[in-house]
Amino acid sequence: MTAAPAGIGRRKATATALGLALAIGSWWGTSRAHVGSPDTWFEGPAGRYPVRVVVRAPGVVPGLAEIDVRVLAGRPTRVAVQPFIWNGGADAAPPPENARPVRGDPRLFDAHLWFMVASSYAVHVTVSGDRGAGKAIVPVQVVATRRLPMSPALGGLLAALGLFLLAGLLTFLGAAAGEGVLPPGEPIDASHRRLARVVVTVSAAILALALAGGRQWWNAVDRAYRQNLNRPLHAAATLLARAPAPVLGIAIDDPEWMGRRWTPLIPDHGKLMHLFLIREPGLDAMAHLHPLMRDSSHFESPLPLLPAGHYRVYADVVHESGFARTLVASLDLRPGGGAATPSEASGDTPGADPDDSWYVGEPEGDRGADPSCLLRDGATIEWVRGPEPLVAGRDRPLRFVVRDSDGRPAPLEPYLGMPAHAVVTRVDGSVFAHLHPIGTVSPASQMALTLRTPADTVPGSLARRLAGMGSMGAMGDPAAGPPGEFAIPYGFPSPGRYRLWVQVRLRGAVETGVFDAYVSPTAGNRISRPLISSPALRR
Amino acid sequence: MIARVFTDAIGTTIFSARKSAPRHHLGRSGTMTTFLEEPIAAAPSSTALRARVPGYLAATALASTSVIVGLLWDISWHRTIGRDRFLTPAHLAIYLGGLVGGLASGARVLKTTFAGCPEERAASVGFWGFRGPLGAWLCIWGSFAMLTSAPFDNWWHNAYGLDVEILSPPHTVLGLGMIAIEMGAMLLVLAHQNRAGGASSALGWLYVYCAGIALLMAATIAWEYTGFPNMMHSALFYKVSAAAFPLFMIGPARAAAIRSPVTAIAAVYTGLTLAMMWILQLFPATPLLGPIYNPVGHMQPPTFPLLLVVPAVALDLLLERLGGRSKWRLAAALGVTFVLSLLVVQWFFAEFLLSPAARNFVFAADHWNYGSRLGPWRYEYWNLDRDGAGRWSGARFALGIVWAMAVATVTSRVGLGWGAWMARVRR
Repeated sequence: MTAAPAGIGRRKATATALGLALAIGSWWGTSRAHVGSPDTWFEGPAGRYPVRVVVRAPGVVPGLAEIDVRVLAGRPTRVAVQPFIWNGGADAAPPPENARPVRGDPRLFDAHLWFMVASSYAVHVTVSGDRGAGKAIVPVQVVATRRLPMSPALGGLLAALGLFLLAGLLTFLGAAAGEGVLPPGEPIDASHRRLARVVVTVSAAILALALAGGRQWWNAVDRAYRQNLNRPLHAAATLLARAPAPVLGIAIDDPEWMGRRWTPLIPDHGKLMHLFLIREPGLDAMAHLHPLMRDSSHFESPLPLLPAGHYRVYADVVHESGFARTLVASLDLRPGGGAATPSEASGDTPGADPDDSWYVGEPEGDRGADPSCLLRDGATIEWVRGPEPLVAGRDRPLRFVVRDSDGRPAPLEPYLGMPAHAVVTRVDGSVFAHLHPIGTVSPASQMALTLRTPADTVPGSLARRLAGMGSMGAMGDPAAGPPGEFAIPYGFPSPGRYRLWVQVRLRGAVETGVFDAYVSPTAGNRISRPLISSPALRR
Repeated sequence: MIARVFTDAIGTTIFSARKSAPRHHLGRSGTMTTFLEEPIAAAPSSTALRARVPGYLAATALASTSVIVGLLWDISWHRTIGRDRFLTPAHLAIYLGGLVGGLASGARVLKTTFAGCPEERAASVGFWGFRGPLGAWLCIWGSFAMLTSAPFDNWWHNAYGLDVEILSPPHTVLGLGMIAIEMGAMLLVLAHQNRAGGASSALGWLYVYCAGIALLMAATIAWEYTGFPNMMHSALFYKVSAAAFPLFMIGPARAAAIRSPVTAIAAVYTGLTLAMMWILQLFPATPLLGPIYNPVGHMQPPTFPLLLVVPAVALDLLLERLGGRSKWRLAAALGVTFVLSLLVVQWFFAEFLLSPAARNFVFAADHWNYGSRLGPWRYEYWNLDRDGAGRWSGARFALGIVWAMAVATVTSRVGLGWGAWMARVRR
């Protein structure tokens, strides 16, 4: 994230004063956490009320976000939402917006929030009711992610109206030059008729030029907008020669990174970077690594023993502003060039982070809709999908149950401060998300936005304070839910085939379960109102 | 056969007419000559037509007022409250203006086409099989343009975000529609005024009022460059002013039926702006969007109007005394005079507006929108003409002023031509 702007330029001040709701705020970044998964999903406590919050990203800035708040327990009487920009302080926030109860579902409330500038926000969700008042802080990153295409129907309508207006204007101009200046009642003569024709012809030429200019203008706006659309920052993944084995180097080489002054990175789950390698096209190998920072743009990690092939590389980092972003790269591992030989495939990686983990198994599709995945030592992890098909955008938490070899719920140990981690990717790579039982939000983002004070005006001061507090990932309590069970709030952003890797820690070892899923297109309203997670999963 | 109107620059009018129809002609300095010939059977008496302001004229003038009031209100709304929706009072005022202007004009067209008396039909122009006054067609066109902008703007907001730019293509369509409503109202009154031949001072003043609204519309469009005192020591301010104002001051004035029309038009602009400035401040309001860096407590007013009345007096004097010159010479005199007189008054008035003495209800200085990070830039001059070393350059400023004079000369000439045409409009 960038630091606070030094000041407002005069030109900007002028435009600001004009006040036509311009997107003149500082452009805080052009990428955000996850890839192709713009909505924010959160589950956690608001005081004594467990809530699940979905922030449907507007996709444009300034834009109107839809917010659904489902209060999972208690009898809420009022739910309010309020956006706080990360560096604005409490006074910069607009008044809270009361969420309206959704008819027929006393636990669901919805609201709309304007986000006027692209930035990192803390959305405060306040619930009042029989359990008093409670507040949850939901980190939301607002960036422009899309440009709505114009439908043929609307395009046709506008073209027809435009032609109508053009014809009308030319007719008016002809009348103004001809009949309009004649005394009342006098029929138009040849000279005025000729003059009217000349005026219409010249005006048509001028209007054609104006339209061409307008088209150029529109194209320029469109081009500039597309250039500023959210995109993952580019990074280069390379194998670096090190003794005794080559290591994986990540260099953030995107001009956006190099040319901006970002707030410092802060550790998420105790790590500055979470790096994911996914082999394609089979999606049969996945590694979750934690490189060390060498300088502000370079990270290094020992390379685990992965099979040769082409890998997608995703790197999650979090800025002090609470802005979480995903960097994207790719990597080719060749036999003799970093790839493991079959005999090495189960070996250890010297110098690896103890929390590094990786999985090599069946290619995508081979598992079908099998809801259960065998872990080591006979343990299993089951995805409790239910009978209904998965639908894009639908609020339907991903429920999992981990059992030991005897079929009893297995107690989960914290893995990077969380009861579980999940990695979701669409087969074509257009979606990548790193999830936890608190949803799509980064725990570090939540910590940064919660603990920031008005005194944190110097970049790095909050990061140092957070680092001094020890592990920043301990936001989830694995013991809070029923043993062996957890749910991850999420809605698949688009239809298609997906693969999920779900990671838990059992008896000190990280276990990875793998699942395949087909997500159906949205039918009707993309917001699923009636779905409430199982009472057993409410925390 | 034809009543010829030759309008010279200082306002004398020469007519020639045939005895076939009522003819009312307007002199430049308020001198009127009326040729009443054989009356048209079954038509309302000319006296009756002249004595009153027809209802649809009042309606379109009201529509024009509603549009400009709504626009200024909407700007204040965005600067103060921020949260936008279709049914804000400001939007309602704008669209009410569009609706009233379009419907009143549409009704006039239908009546003229299907039930108009001969005099009404005679004072109309044909348009796709219908007949109606010229201004009515422009109002109707403006209504359709405003209507067209709605789905376009809605899509634009969804595609690119809410108002990512002040002047977006859909806002341009909307703005053209609003201008058309205002110009249409002006033309409607103008045609009546020209036909009435000065018999109705109400029409003359109503026309000037409509012309003042058009000038205010131009000032609002140019406001980003001309509205802030911080800009008034920059040549850019004078260039933009030269492009925007002489056209709307001189053009309509050339067809006005009252004395000192440029001054009167400028006075209407000043009065309306002051009224909005003083009234809006009275209403408490707080921002509903964030981030809020400037916690305002009442509706933010427009900036104090430009002192266009001073250049207007000079332009009126010139038009009266130099009217006989060639149009380009006259335009050059008008353009140079406009820029110099504006420079003299605004240069010093800007210093006052940036001083603490102007930070009060009367002058309404130092009001900024809720999202502004307040700083010393509020009391500094912007866009100053600087040399390569960053110092203020008198030479560069002077060159900019010369350019502004050239621009004002061109817009004055266009205004003279436009005014000559308007003086002839009688339908």
